Amino acid sequence: MDKDWRQQIIPLLPPPLQKAVAALKPPIISRLEEMRLRAGRPLILETDAGENFLGLKGLVTEPFQAYLVTAEDLHHILLQMTEFSLYARDEELKRGYLALPGGHRAGFTGRVVLERGEVKLLRDFNSINIRIAREVKGAALGLLPHVYCATKKRVRHTLLVSPPQAGKTTMLRDLARLLSDGDPQSGRPGFKVAIVDERSEIAGCYQGKPQLDVGMRTDVLDGCPKAEGMMMLVRSMSPQVVVTDELGRPEDVRAVEEVVNTGASVLTTAHAYDVQELIRRPSLAYLLKNGLFQRVIMLSRRRGPGTIEKIYNGAELSQWLQTEERNVG
Amino acid sequence: MLAKCVGALCILSASLWWSNLQIAKLKARVRQLEAFRLGLRLLAAEVGYTATPLPRALKQVAKQLGVESVSAFFQAVCRNLQEEKFSDATGAWLAAIEAKREHLQLTANDWMILSRAAAGLGGLGRDDQLKQLAAAETQLAAQAAEAAAAFAGSEKMWRYLGILSGLAVVILLL
Repeated sequence: MDKDWRQQIIPLLPPPLQKAVAALKPPIISRLEEMRLRAGRPLILETDAGENFLGLKGLVTEPFQAYLVTAEDLHHILLQMTEFSLYARDEELKRGYLALPGGHRAGFTGRVVLERGEVKLLRDFNSINIRIAREVKGAALGLLPHVYCATKKRVRHTLLVSPPQAGKTTMLRDLARLLSDGDPQSGRPGFKVAIVDERSEIAGCYQGKPQLDVGMRTDVLDGCPKAEGMMMLVRSMSPQVVVTDELGRPEDVRAVEEVVNTGASVLTTAHAYDVQELIRRPSLAYLLKNGLFQRVIMLSRRRGPGTIEKIYNGAELSQWLQTEERNVG
Repeated sequence: MLAKCVGALCILSASLWWSNLQIAKLKARVRQLEAFRLGLRLLAAEVGYTATPLPRALKQVAKQLGVESVSAFFQAVCRNLQEEKFSDATGAWLAAIEAKREHLQLTANDWMILSRAAAGLGGLGRDDQLKQLAAAETQLAAQAAEAAAAFAGSEKMWRYLGILSGLAVVILLL
């Protein structure tokens, strides 16, 4: 996988940067998470250990020694990523990202052009963030006993919660894979899993094909808004488990309730540092108070991405929240 | 006497050949302009309906064109992009124009319109890209209509010119 990301990302870079990135040494190759290219500013490589500045001859210690990214570099990268065809990736660019081969993603910032109050397109790009996809098979093995109920042979409705970049999506992806593939030796069946991958982060689809392993019984709806996607999947793919990332909007919550009513299980995530922050969001608070989620799992980066901090029983959490609400009232 | 007859026949054949060549060039220009129009429409369909990336779209267009010289142009643009010699599609398109100019019967005006078709190629959003291709196709349509009219008006003229100029040379030499 480490060698793969270089084969996929390096051809997209301008020639001077290709050499510099190709010459990176092993520790940083396997730990690289993001490549930050900002016009007129130093090139920064982000790893799980922190940031590094990259010069044309290799890593440097001071920002002023690093390669200064130019607007032409950004333009070159954009054209390479879109195969000289911005029109072909209109919708993604409007949302500020591009899916890349290998499941990687590039995020963009620039000038937004609005039409009737909606984003029509993004132009005059001023930065690109290339996020390296890290597929960690087995990352979610520790979560499996809490998500899968062996006695009822069912998947529990589960919410994974963490701050940004703490491994929620990596865990979610691995859970989807584990549940989809099953394990005949232990008697765990394979489930029909359906993923609504609104931002192509879970399955990393490129040209419609999942670039990351999400399991053999998994169907992926790529680039579709969550609420519509969940409805489409339950109507057409008869899923036993519906997976989606970053729940939050009221329409997403209504869709989750509909999915649960069909008998399918829901696996999803939300951003928050703790339960208190979580319940400040009305739509999530509604779901938690009604006990929709049977498990709420708090993750962090404390001992590396995907560190399990706490696992809540959904029913107990619901009772606690209702008690708290009565006490406050 | 025999030599004079043979010589006269050679002169007449040469002048007829030359006049037919002019007619063929005029006819070829019409066919090539129509083929470029079709090519731009096919490219617009690839862009508008399937959002096919440019290299593949150009290859598809080249496959569907019946005029080999124009098909070769689209293939050349595709090759220029794939060999990564150019930083954008505009450069690849203009380089193909330079490479294929001698193989086609287009006028300077025709080439100017085709060069303008390259502006922003691949660098625009879908709507703007389609508008730009449609504008180029409309301009080429005008050129094609002018070329067809010129051909229709000139064909007979060139045929008579071929025969009469050949006869005039024969008579002068006799």
